[in-house]
Amino acid sequence: MRLVPAFTHTLALRATLALTAALAVSACEAHAATEIDLYFPVPVQGKLAVEMQRLVEQFDATHPDIHATAVYTGSYDDTNLKTRAAIQAGRPPAAVIMSANFVREYVINNEVIAFDDLIRHDGRTPDQFMAEFWPALKLNATENGRVYGVPFQNSTPLLYYSVDAFKDAGLDPDKPPVTWQDWVDDLRKVTKRTGSETTRWGLMFPGTYDYLGWLTSAFAMSNGGEYYNPGYGGEVYYTEPTTIGAVRLIDAFVHKWHVMPEGVTDANAVTTAFFQGRTAMMVLSTGSLSFVRDNMKTPYRVAFLPRSVVNAAPIGGASLILPNGNSAERQAAAWTLINWLVSPEIAGGWSRFTGYFAPRIAAYDLPDMKSYLAAHPDAKVALDQLQYARGWFATYNTVGVRKALEDGVQAVLSGKMTPEAAMEAAQKQADAMMRPYVEQTALKLPE
Amino acid sequence: MRRDARFLVALLLCAAALFWAIPFAWMAVASLRPGQAGAMDLASLLPAGPFGWSNFSDAWSEGHFPLWYLNTVLLCGGILAVQCVTISLAGYAFARLRFRGRELLFHAFLLQLMLVPPILIVPNMTTLVTLHLYDTLPGVMAPYFASAFGVFLMRQTFRTIPREYEEAALVDGAGPLTIITRVLLPLARPGLAAFAIVSITAHWNEFLWPLMAISSPRNQVLTVGLASFTSGAEAGSEWGVIAAGTFLVAAPLLLMFVLFQRRFVSSFVFSGIK
Repeated sequence: MRLVPAFTHTLALRATLALTAALAVSACEAHAATEIDLYFPVPVQGKLAVEMQRLVEQFDATHPDIHATAVYTGSYDDTNLKTRAAIQAGRPPAAVIMSANFVREYVINNEVIAFDDLIRHDGRTPDQFMAEFWPALKLNATENGRVYGVPFQNSTPLLYYSVDAFKDAGLDPDKPPVTWQDWVDDLRKVTKRTGSETTRWGLMFPGTYDYLGWLTSAFAMSNGGEYYNPGYGGEVYYTEPTTIGAVRLIDAFVHKWHVMPEGVTDANAVTTAFFQGRTAMMVLSTGSLSFVRDNMKTPYRVAFLPRSVVNAAPIGGASLILPNGNSAERQAAAWTLINWLVSPEIAGGWSRFTGYFAPRIAAYDLPDMKSYLAAHPDAKVALDQLQYARGWFATYNTVGVRKALEDGVQAVLSGKMTPEAAMEAAQKQADAMMRPYVEQTALKLPE
Repeated sequence: MRRDARFLVALLLCAAALFWAIPFAWMAVASLRPGQAGAMDLASLLPAGPFGWSNFSDAWSEGHFPLWYLNTVLLCGGILAVQCVTISLAGYAFARLRFRGRELLFHAFLLQLMLVPPILIVPNMTTLVTLHLYDTLPGVMAPYFASAFGVFLMRQTFRTIPREYEEAALVDGAGPLTIITRVLLPLARPGLAAFAIVSITAHWNEFLWPLMAISSPRNQVLTVGLASFTSGAEAGSEWGVIAAGTFLVAAPLLLMFVLFQRRFVSSFVFSGIK
């Protein structure tokens, strides 16, 4: 019990200090700056959180009438959870860097506002505005013809491979696999075994939530499939031949050709294995380019994700959104911040720092970006793959519907289920989760 | 023969202790070896040089550790202080007072243990906003002020204390509050200590709720702060810096355990928690 007085004392002291500080700040400024907060996830690595804080401080220094605070909010899924909870509790953040495929759900739930009016207020049409971003990003940024997300950091899955491992296996590092057949041929050559132990795996990719769904959709798309209905949030195609074929490929990597370890590997373990030479190839986001470049000690290259029938990959990354329920001043201030963040200079700098490609096309006309691409051909490959990029899987209850698939693929990776049975179960679960939305939309007759 | 058996038990226990210590040893070794983001012997337990403190200085400079320590200590201390009051009083009520529906109410209380905290995030946040406690440390503490586990523990502890003590105090003219503070609580100290360990450890390590309820960097706690520069789902992590950061977060708890080890163990033995 002795704790109580001591604790109240410190709390009172802290409160007094905070109050004094607040008074001091408000006394200094003639008129109060608009306070806004920006939720941001750190999906890649910690250095980014520090850089984001620095960027927002730079924004504050150049915009005296706005005071923005960058609030770290965990992973993409954590950020989604926190944003949703804050909106429902009546304290929405002014802006959020949100996983690009979650935007649709916010639109369905009427929890975000469209950018159209703000864009028009600046004297542009929404179409002119979207034309400044790479076309592949449009699908996840717009809904029913209105702009709900401003692309900020974007990626596609990429094949990373070790030059040493290729040479060691007698392969030409200038000729990465292009088709699934080349890929499997190469993987069988680069996998190295002594006795029953595998000393170098052919391939690893993250099998954890969020990543696995993204990669499975990438395989399904390059298998000629669509994976989900890009125009409607109530349909996924888990049991279509194109998805089944993709999951069979994953299963065969592990259980037929034994070029990939069994079970679920997380992204940290994948990159660590790649750096150590314990895997010859990995499939990872373009958003990891800078991290790999900084930490890989031996030469590596990147290539397009191998195709079955077409070159295709979903986009990934995040868009800026404006949650519903903020005052007009806060919305306007957030819009200023968003415009500043996606300006060619800032977006280009963020791209070079992280490895994500800059969504703003004009960023690539700047001299800094040109010399960067010349010095780093791997970043060029990531950019080139963009012309084959497609929309990112987005439905009603995206996380739940995605997890249904991921649980199935994880069961396949661990050898507990066949691809067909796993996808059958995943489709059933996903359908059940989307049912309420489907009842209210596609299945609803006009009255 | 008996000596052999004892030797075997000791050997098994040593093996278990060693096994348990491996993550800590690995953390210690990794935190002292700079620049090992992907070296061959990354996971080596055997210390091999070069050693250095740069991981610690990196971690320290990337985060605001003094602030995070202060906030975390305030958070855990605040929760525990209020909990001690609520669980003692509620524990006393369930252990000693006779009233209609006592058992039913007690069981309803225990049901709270079955609830998974995440489902209460939105209702709790709505309450915090109404109380103007959103994005404050007291707001993070509030949902934990009452503890079903603590009430249960104190009820059990009070029931082991013979009623004669209270009756003697009653004869001397003590009221219920005096009896609780002067007679029962001193005797229930081991139970309280055991609860304190569970409570502090739980809230020190908690991530999701502080992440939800706090936005301002000045109110940030250790776990969320650590994650802000170490977590990375899409790429990889700098293991050395993570190990150093984790060490910084865990060190106060480890130190506390080492200092009060004897008391903790006796408390746990007394209260029957394992």
